[in-house]
Amino acid sequence: MSTTIRTRLLKYAPIGVLAVLLLSGCQRELNDLQPVSYPTNPEVFINSFSPGLNYAAFGGSVPTAFDVDNSVTYASTSTTSMRFEVPDAGDPRGAYAGGTYFTSVGRDLSGYDALTFWMKASQPANIDVLGFGNDLGANKYQASISDVAVTTNWQKYIIPLPNPSKLTAERGMFFYSEGPEDDRGYTFWIDELKYEKLGTVAHPEHAILNGQDQVETAFLGVSKVIGGLSSTFNLPSGINQTVNVTPAYFEFASSNESVATVNASGVVSVVGGPGNATITATVGGVPAKGSLTLQSVGNFQPAPMPTRPAANVISLFSNAYTNVPVDYYNGYWAPFQTTQSADFTVNGDNILHYTDFNFVGIQFSSPTVNATAMTHLHVDIYLPNTLPANSRFKIEVVDNGTGGTGAFTTNIPVAQSQQWISLDIPFSNFAGLSNRNNLFQVIFVDEDNNIPSFYADNVYFYNAGMPPSAPTTAAPPPTHPAAGVISVFSNAYTNIAGTDLNPNWGQATVVTQVPIQGNNTLKYTGLNYQGIQLGSPQDVSALGFLHLDFWSANSTSLKVYIISPGPVETPVTLNVPTTGWSSIDIPLSSFAPVSLSNVIQLKFDGNGDIYLDNIYFRN
Amino acid sequence: MHKLRTATLHTALLLSLMFWGCKPDDFQKLPQRDWQLVWSDEFDGAAGQLPDAAKWALDLGTGQNGWGNSELQSYTNDPENVSLDGTGNLVLTALRSGNSFTSARIKTQGLFAQQYGRFEARLKTPYGPGLWPAFWMLGSNIETVSWPQCGEIDIMELRGQQPHIMQGTLHGPGYSGGNPITKGYALQNARFDTDFHRFAIEWDAAKIDFFVDDYLYQRIERGDVPGEWVYDQPFFMILNVAVGGNYVGFPTDQTPFPQKMIVDYVRVYQ
Repeated sequence: MSTTIRTRLLKYAPIGVLAVLLLSGCQRELNDLQPVSYPTNPEVFINSFSPGLNYAAFGGSVPTAFDVDNSVTYASTSTTSMRFEVPDAGDPRGAYAGGTYFTSVGRDLSGYDALTFWMKASQPANIDVLGFGNDLGANKYQASISDVAVTTNWQKYIIPLPNPSKLTAERGMFFYSEGPEDDRGYTFWIDELKYEKLGTVAHPEHAILNGQDQVETAFLGVSKVIGGLSSTFNLPSGINQTVNVTPAYFEFASSNESVATVNASGVVSVVGGPGNATITATVGGVPAKGSLTLQSVGNFQPAPMPTRPAANVISLFSNAYTNVPVDYYNGYWAPFQTTQSADFTVNGDNILHYTDFNFVGIQFSSPTVNATAMTHLHVDIYLPNTLPANSRFKIEVVDNGTGGTGAFTTNIPVAQSQQWISLDIPFSNFAGLSNRNNLFQVIFVDEDNNIPSFYADNVYFYNAGMPPSAPTTAAPPPTHPAAGVISVFSNAYTNIAGTDLNPNWGQATVVTQVPIQGNNTLKYTGLNYQGIQLGSPQDVSALGFLHLDFWSANSTSLKVYIISPGPVETPVTLNVPTTGWSSIDIPLSSFAPVSLSNVIQLKFDGNGDIYLDNIYFRN
Repeated sequence: MHKLRTATLHTALLLSLMFWGCKPDDFQKLPQRDWQLVWSDEFDGAAGQLPDAAKWALDLGTGQNGWGNSELQSYTNDPENVSLDGTGNLVLTALRSGNSFTSARIKTQGLFAQQYGRFEARLKTPYGPGLWPAFWMLGSNIETVSWPQCGEIDIMELRGQQPHIMQGTLHGPGYSGGNPITKGYALQNARFDTDFHRFAIEWDAAKIDFFVDDYLYQRIERGDVPGEWVYDQPFFMILNVAVGGNYVGFPTDQTPFPQKMIVDYVRVYQ
């Protein structure tokens, strides 16, 4: 018995072809009308701008970088190419060549799978960015390839369209941006720029979070952006091309919207808990690699409340202390830092939140911190991801003067993830730090590449010993020209004659004067209230400020008043306790309605032990 | 001389001829042939199994000078290089480890060989610069007369940096190595690594016909070869994925790994 295989001939026509044939000749009815669709013209620049195409140079670029070229073209069939002149570094006309080609009416690109063009250059180079989807507006579907190698020979380049079904009304046809190569400019040409349906762009692979599956704890109110987005295609030459894409190409989904939601821009918000939610994405139905599983524990757990006395603390980041000036909490140090910031506030508590963590620096250079009197660095950290293994967390403290860099590494066991960890590190443990007179950076480093993200709070230097009870240095010497000063108490000026520094108003305060570094300093011990009776009424209406220097390790309340007859008195609150000497210039307008032409007394009230110096009115 | 007979058409096909503007090459009028299935492997079996040892032997290692072609891979019998996938396919996988590569090469030498007939495989190729998959045949007398006297029929060969083009080739004495008798067949707007395609030869005393998906793209008749016609003896079949070598060039660090050739079946008819 033989098995017959009949040799077949080729494909059958689709039934639709038959249907169209049968319908021809019918009268057109309203329900035959199709919705308006956008033009599908695939040509961008062949021998000229395609109809409806405009060009705009990007800000900061050389406005005339682009022009057409009638002599250098691809193939004898082309009469004109696009020419781009990249400037030298320092060119006054602009820093780079860059611009976008966009149409006034969007085009339907959904039938194509690639933007293609031929390109060559006057020298080998790597072009920074080439892409499409830049419409000088929302750039919703912007896609690009980076660092594109161009040679002196014409070669064909392909930019795959990540998800053509989204590009039904796209106005951004092509854009480019290229800076000088090694500070020198050069020329490159593009020709036959058009969209094509190649059919040979294959094996799409999309990724969120760089393809990783991340697990982390989260809290009500925490939000973060899903990053690490890419689409990779295999080109007809068999090699892969990665395309930078926007969130708009992805469809994001949450497995449990009562715990976390995600919007079309990839912003995840934790809205419930305890419970879990997994965020995933697809591109045109193709699942993207990578996911984020949020384990929400519900309400936020704050870090332990600091207990060090303020006088012993120099704080960089804490709601419990007054922080010194900080340049930034994340330096975004290119090109190797990946760490992003997603800081948040819960119930008034500010938390630093670092994501995509490899290393990150906090800088405080204006002024730098003199931590000589401090003994430790304190920081609270919380690692929300389940650690795959014991992981080392390194902290560096950097001195801007001669002290060098000190490094300390701690091993975080898996069991300590997903809870607050308080680190108190003696300066002696920062190997390599020879002095700390001019500290200006604290740097966190993910030593084992195991810690995707962490929260930080209460970052401060402190002195673990007893708080100083008296200043060790004199108040800062005044520098204001004497001609503009009416002085109450200071070694630097002539004081108002006959002033009584301790009038008897029934106060409990004990008033003394003590020399500190040779400077006469006023001391109030056990303040409740205390007056200063000026030797004669003073007209300070022509002046602008009341200046005073004050120091207190243990006061929690301090106000200063000026008084005119009535008595009319107005307080101004001073911030205590202080870290070292505090100097303040209070605008006299703060004391309204006290009569500035007839000031007769000053008064302080509050608690604790106060040191005062350089009390004067100035212009 | 064969008489060409007009094949039967359906009505829909007739319409398609009129409204699709098809090229005349798309349609071939070939004689009806009756083939009888005599040997096959549908590769049905549990995932992870090696192919049926009654049908296939494995070539191992690097052979001589990279199997004569300066190929870079070492062939193994490890399931991660050669195994069934549990859904009716055989998967040959090329793996990269630093600068060394492993892959697999299976053959029916000593187990099955046939003179004349139709030899067909349905498969999906790997891709990427430096990948060299093949479905091919060698004369059974290779042990005695050696190559190229034994003859070689390459039913499908492909260079991974051009995944839309394959070649069908004859190597024999006087026409081997760099100057065999060969012809390429390219897909328009498609590639051989994204879908299954069928590659076949039909071979008799007068000629060898080469097919892709039933399209005859090459016919080599006895009088076409510049040397001796050595195709009147049994040949056995080989399936392999090579990495690098004189035919394809080096893989680069942009070649994606791992790479797989997925074979749905191999069928032999008389």
